[in-house]
This record gives sequence, C-alpha cells and structure tokens, in this order.
Amino acid sequence: MSHQTLMAILILSPLVGFLINGFRYKKHSAELSGSIATGAAVISFIAALLMVIDLIGLPPEERKIIVHFFDWIAVDRLKISAGFTIDQISAIMVLVVTGVGSLIHLFSIGYMHHDKGVAKYFAYLNLFLFNMLLLVLGDNLLVMFVGWEGVGLCSYLLIGFWFTDKEKAAAGMKAFVTNRIGDAAFLLGMFVLFLTFGTLNFQEINHMVPTTSELTWLAPITLATLFLFIGATGKSAQIPLYVWLPDAMAGPTPVSALIHAATMVTAGVYMIIRLNPLFLAAPNTMAIIAGIGGLTAVMAASIGMTQWDIKKVLAYSTVSQLGYMFLACGVGAFGAALFHLMTHAFFKALMFLGSGSVIHAMHEEQDIRKMGGLRKYLPYTHLTFLIGWLAIIGVPPFAGFFSKDEILWQAFHSPRGHWALWAMGALGAVMTAFYMTRLMALTFWGKSRVPKETHPHESPWIMLLPLIVLAILSAVGGWVGIPHVISEILPGQPGNLLETWLEPVIKSVPGVAEGDPTQEWSLMGVSVTLAVISALLAYHFYVRDPSKPKKVAESLGKFYELVYNKYFVDEAYFGWIINPLVSLSKGIWYYIDVNFIDKTTYVVADLVRGGGQFVRGVQNGNIQQYAMYIGLGVVATMTYVLMR
Amino acid sequence: MTADVFLFWFLAIVTLAGGLTTIMITNPIYSALSLAFTMVGVSALFVTLNAYFLAGVQLIVYAGAVTVLFVMVLMMFDLKHEVTAFTRGKISGMVKSGIVAVLAGILVGSISLTTDIFSKSGAAPEAVIGGDTTKELGKVLFSKYIFGFEALGILLLMVAIGAVALARSKGGTHAKQ
Amino acid sequence: MPSSDLFLEVGLSHYLVLSAILFVAGMAGVLLRRNAIVILMSVELMLNAVNLSFVAFSHYMGQMDGQIMVFFVMTIAAAEVSVGLAILVSIFKRYKEVNIRFFEHLKG
Repeated sequence: MSHQTLMAILILSPLVGFLINGFRYKKHSAELSGSIATGAAVISFIAALLMVIDLIGLPPEERKIIVHFFDWIAVDRLKISAGFTIDQISAIMVLVVTGVGSLIHLFSIGYMHHDKGVAKYFAYLNLFLFNMLLLVLGDNLLVMFVGWEGVGLCSYLLIGFWFTDKEKAAAGMKAFVTNRIGDAAFLLGMFVLFLTFGTLNFQEINHMVPTTSELTWLAPITLATLFLFIGATGKSAQIPLYVWLPDAMAGPTPVSALIHAATMVTAGVYMIIRLNPLFLAAPNTMAIIAGIGGLTAVMAASIGMTQWDIKKVLAYSTVSQLGYMFLACGVGAFGAALFHLMTHAFFKALMFLGSGSVIHAMHEEQDIRKMGGLRKYLPYTHLTFLIGWLAIIGVPPFAGFFSKDEILWQAFHSPRGHWALWAMGALGAVMTAFYMTRLMALTFWGKSRVPKETHPHESPWIMLLPLIVLAILSAVGGWVGIPHVISEILPGQPGNLLETWLEPVIKSVPGVAEGDPTQEWSLMGVSVTLAVISALLAYHFYVRDPSKPKKVAESLGKFYELVYNKYFVDEAYFGWIINPLVSLSKGIWYYIDVNFIDKTTYVVADLVRGGGQFVRGVQNGNIQQYAMYIGLGVVATMTYVLMR
Repeated sequence: MTADVFLFWFLAIVTLAGGLTTIMITNPIYSALSLAFTMVGVSALFVTLNAYFLAGVQLIVYAGAVTVLFVMVLMMFDLKHEVTAFTRGKISGMVKSGIVAVLAGILVGSISLTTDIFSKSGAAPEAVIGGDTTKELGKVLFSKYIFGFEALGILLLMVAIGAVALARSKGGTHAKQ
Repeated sequence: MPSSDLFLEVGLSHYLVLSAILFVAGMAGVLLRRNAIVILMSVELMLNAVNLSFVAFSHYMGQMDGQIMVFFVMTIAAAEVSVGLAILVSIFKRYKEVNIRFFEHLKG
C-alpha cells in the first residue's frame, strides 16, 4: 500500500469509528460499541506500525514520510496544506497514542459495561483519537491547532460525560475555559511566527531559524515561543493553568488514563519538541520553561502527598511528571523529554487503569481511606500496579528510572541547566516516591478498612489484559534509552537506541561538554537513594505505624493546611481574577451595553418608526388618491421632457 | 367643406359629447348609455381612417359586449340610494382637476408642436393607407404577432375562469361570514 | 396656418387632439367619480382614446402595427372589464355598496 493510503487509513479509521458509534449513540451494548471503537483504534495502530517499519527501513538522514492530501488554505502568502508527516518524533508519538489508545479502548469495554451512554462514550473516545492524530501528524501549526482544539473539545465532552452531576459538568467547563486561555496564547504565537517566517510549516520554520540565539525579551522568536509555551501550559497543565487537570478526574477513569495522563496533556511537550530548533534559539524562554517545569514538579508533588482521592493523587502526579518533561525541554534535553513522555504514558496509563480496576472493584469508591489490604482481593491489579509504582519512583531497571534520571542528569549537566533545577527535580522525585508509596500502602497493603457491605472482586480479563501489557511496557520500556555510563558496564554494551534514533531531528544545546561519568554516577546514586529512603519512610508511616502521619500533619500545622488545600490556588484565581472579571463585565454590561448601546439603538428605532408613521399617512387606501399620484407623476415627467 | 371633413367634425362632436356626459352625469345608467354613444362614435372614426375590421370589432366588443356587461351589472345591483357622484375632498378635488387640466394642456400643446414633423416631412399624405386593410391586418397578426395572439387566448381563458371564481366568492378576501 | 385650413383640412393632429381630450376626460372620471362602475367606464374611455390615436398613427404612417396594438388593447380591455366587474360584484355582495370608499382596505 502506498503511504498515502496508509496515512489515510491511520487518520480516518477513528473518524469512521466515531461516525458509526455517533449515529447509534442510543444503543446500550458495550460489547458491540466497544468492539467497533477498539477495532478502529487497532486498525489505526497497525497502519501506524506499518508506516514506522517503512520509516526504519530508510537511511537515518531521510527518515521522513510526508503525505500531502490537498491544499487546505491558499491566501496570498498564507499557504496551508492538509499535509501529514511521520518522522522520528511523531513516530514515537503516533505509536504511543494509537497503542496505548487501543489498550484503553479495550479496558473501557469492561469498565463502561453498565453505563447507558456507552455508544456515545466510545464515539467520543474515537473522535479524541482522530484529533490526537491530527495534532501529532500535522505538518504545520494550523493542522496541529485543529487537532489541539479537537482534543480539547473531546476532553470537555468526556470530563463532563456524566453531565447530570452538576459538579462534573462544571469540571468539564473549567477544563474548557482554562484551555481556552492557553489556546488564545497559542494563536498569538502562531501569528508572531507567521509574521516572522511567513510560513507555519514545521520543517520550513525549523530550517529558517537563525543560528544565533536571541538575547532580548521582545525579539520575535522569544515572543513567539513564550506565547506557544503559554499555550502548552494550558494543555499540559503547568503553572499557572494546571488547575483544570485535578478536576478533570470527574470523567470516567479510562478517559483520565488516555486523555489526562498518556496523550492529550503531553501535547504541549510534543509541540515544544517538534519546534526544538526554534526554542533553542530563545534562551530566555528556555529558562522560563525550565523554571516553570521544576516548580510545577515540586508543587504538584507536594499537593499529591496530602490528597485522599486515589485519582486526585494520580492527577497531581501527572502534573508533576509533566513538570519534569518541561524541565527537560527547558534545559534543552528534548530527547529526554520525549523519552519521559513515552515511559510516563506507559506507567501512568497503567496506574490510572489500575485505579480504574480498583474503583470498579470498590463499587465507585475513590477514597483511599476506605481501602487498604486490597492485595488479597485484587492480586493481578496489585501486581501490575506494583510495577507501575516501581517505574514511577525510579527504581532500576524499570522504565521511569532511565527517563527520569536522564532528565535530572541533563538538568545538572546541560549548559542551560543549573544545580537548582537539579535540586527541584530531585526533591520532586523524593516526594513522588513518598506519595506513590503512600498510595500503594493505603490502597493495597496494611489492614483492610473496606466497609463491610462492599465485596471487592477482581476485574474481568478484558480489563486485566491491558493492565498486563502496560505493565510489561512499564518494566522494559526504558531499555531503549539506556545511558552510556550504564551501558558500558552491561554485557554487550547496548547503545542508547533512542538517542541514535532521534539524533537527526533533535538539535543539541550549543556548547555541551563531555559528561563526567563519576559525576553522573553519583547524581544517579543520590537521587535513587533518596527516593528509596523516602519510599521506606512512607512505608513505615502508612503500614507499620498508621498513627504517625496524623501526628506529623499536626506538627506541621498551618503548612499542612496550606498544602492540603492545594495552596488555595483555586480560591486565589476566584478572588483575584474571576470575580473581578465578573464584576467588571457586569459593570460594562450595565453602563455600556444597557445604557449606551441599547439606548442608541432605541433612538434610531424611534426615528425610523416616527418616519414610518409620517409616510404611512400617504398610503391611506384611497385608490383615487393613488391614481392622483400617478397623474402627478405623469405631469411631472412630461413637463421635464418638454422643458428639456 | 367636403364630406370627409364634415364627417370628422360631426363624429368628433358626438364622441366628445358622449365622453363628457359619461363622466358628468350622476345616474350610472345614463353614463353607460353615453359610453355606448362614444364607442359607436369611435367606431365610426375608425371607418374614416380605413380601419374597417377594427371598426367592426369595436362595435361588437365595446358597444355590444362591454356596454351590455355594464348595464347588466348595474341592473343586478339595483342601487336604491344614490352614490355621491364626485369626491368630497375640496383640496384633493381641486388638485385632481388641476392635474387633468394641466395634462390636457401639455398634451394638446405638444401635439400641435410636433405634428409638423408627421405631416410635413416623414409621412406625406401619399403614404396614407387606402382601401380595406383587413386582409393585411390578418397577415401580420398571424405571422409576426402570432405569439402575442396565442398568449391573448390563454389570457382570455384565465380571465373567464377568474371572473367566475371571483363572482362566486362572497365578499372577496375580507369575507368573514 | 390660416383658420380656414384648421377647419377644412383634417389631418393627424386633429385625431390626436380629439384622442387627447377623450383621454383626459376619462382620467378626470377616474380621479373624481365615486361610483366604482363609472370609474371602470372611465377607464374604458381612456383606452378608447388611446386606440383612436393608435389607429390614426397607423393610417397616417402607413403601418399595420398600430392596428395590431389596438386589437390587443381591445382584448385586454374586455378581459379587464370582466374581471373588474366580477370584483365589483363580489364586493357588492359583501357591503351592498359600490362606492370607491369601501375599497380602502388596501390601507397600509
């Protein structure tokens, strides 16, 4: 098959699935709807796999499949084609999106089994996949933006999927509005880029980027990248726009796994990696990205330590891990960011699906205070969750270890890095180990606090299968990016596959020095040791001595309150931004709209009506008078003709 | 004074008198009668202009059918009280009379100013059509104007249907009974 | 032009002036009369006046087209009268009146 056909199948298959399920949205059969949707996703995955195999067959410098379908917009200088590209970056993304997506589709069949809107649910899920593929594959910013908006829409629809619950509907709206702020900035960034380069095509932009870095703040590239980064903070839940993601947990759990952990939220990171030469040319933006990323990683992790809702913990963990990815982007380690994006997609999807399995078993109970000792009832879920836990806290040789360590090392070592950034990353890693162990301990270990009336049961195989596949990926997924210092001591000395693969498309930071192996080893040792100690501490707190956490929390007093209430960020937004905006709008509505614009239109309307009343007198229904007007007209015309 | 000239003046007087009576007299029956007089006068004028066929049609259609139609409707209505003959509004009446007078002046004036063009230069009396024009009329009507002729046929059919439909309805579109 | 000529030599302008006077008389009737039937008659008068001028032109210019036009006008006039009278009949049925005053339902 030609690449054109394959690409069409890859992109359109989820759309067809969406249309089929969309037209039968009232049907209740989870098996049928789910099979259609999962089939569409799997077809997409197979097509993606075939294309990537073709891609590997090409020589490294020419690894790029560009499919041009048609010219979408052609106005003066603005030429946008409906073109799609698979290169080294999007190959990884497209495999993650369709692969993890297919697994989550499969999981949903079991999870959404009893839901009435199951066909609608699968339709949304497929629509999401379609838009995500547009986002990932589009070869220019505008096509990406279409996907970007599309996934936002699907996210809104799926967060508010149980929209009869007011709180859940509100969560959907919050996500939508928060994202809109970011999207506006994204648009502005596109405008600046178009003004500067006259094109929106990724390849062209990346070729045109000047080799010298911009040092001022108001230079076009710095401005454009800053705007794009604000867009990314909206979609990828970074400070200051992260507030929507924890609330987004109102949606069904597989949705949280697919959209709010594995794929959509990484779109911002993906966009930055895609435009890496552009971002490299703006060191100021890079510094901001790194700072925001590190800060988010620490702050979200600290909130995660205090939450009681199993999904909220995972949500803050996602925000924190996304912070890592931005930290990596900010120090110029785009490869590491993509690596972590991939491994995070595996283990976070695994943990979300695991939590879905737990919630399913506990009959929609999400409070971890009412769990505990579930290992007995859910052996397989526990086992897979355990692997996810090991991966996220960075225990070698699980996936998270390699990617996270790469990021930490780069944060320290890169010319754009700083020891403070490394410290933030390490602190985040320590806290991650703590809250994840806490989650494990409270959910699966220790004594059971399950209420007597609930009888937890293991999930069906259709839900366990994706868990197992993802667990395997979480365990071995990191082996594609083994750092040099480790590979040197391994038998056969496996190279860093990922680095070699990405080399042609990722620009390295100028002036990068050769790494010192001793330094790298010691940093690695420090972070792993700290994480393990932190995990053991958490184990001690929550399994051995369950009364301890309370005492610690009390001793911290006000600070604990602050963290527990998520630093009052939502309240601050309401108090300082939303409420003043609302009152300002009300003022404008009353004084400008009602008293000025409306009244002006009333005056105009009255004038017209008065004129109409006057003219109406002429049309009095008296036919003879009408005839008289005709006569007058004739006389006037003839007089004019004769006088001429 | 030749017979032709005498005939013209005689007919002109009859036609004018008939026309003025039609619009001046209060009783509609007399109006209809004087209208018939006018029609006959015009028909005779057609004869003086050698349009014999049109003269005949004029007699049949106007003096015959149309007048009869008018009289019949008048009889049918059986008006018991007299309708006010003329408009009541003084100002509008004066305006209307003024319009009519001015128009008459303009028309007669422009005719007397322009007939020189017809009588002297373009169409000299030699071009006047003599004899019976009926045959020629028929030829033109059924060749050059055949489409209009057919359209007229359809129009008459529709009018026949429409008139029947209208007369059957009880009081037009505002009927509320 | 001496006055004897005016009376003794009948030409196109004589017919046209006669037609004009008839036309204006008909127009006066349309504008001033209140009886709808008489107004219809006045319309007929105006049409006849126009017919007369058509035939006169046709005669003096040696062309048949004027007469054809008269033929058409006559047909349409007959149609118009029949429809007009039908409307009058239906209005009369409703109001028992033929005064033009009752036609003021066309008020805006």
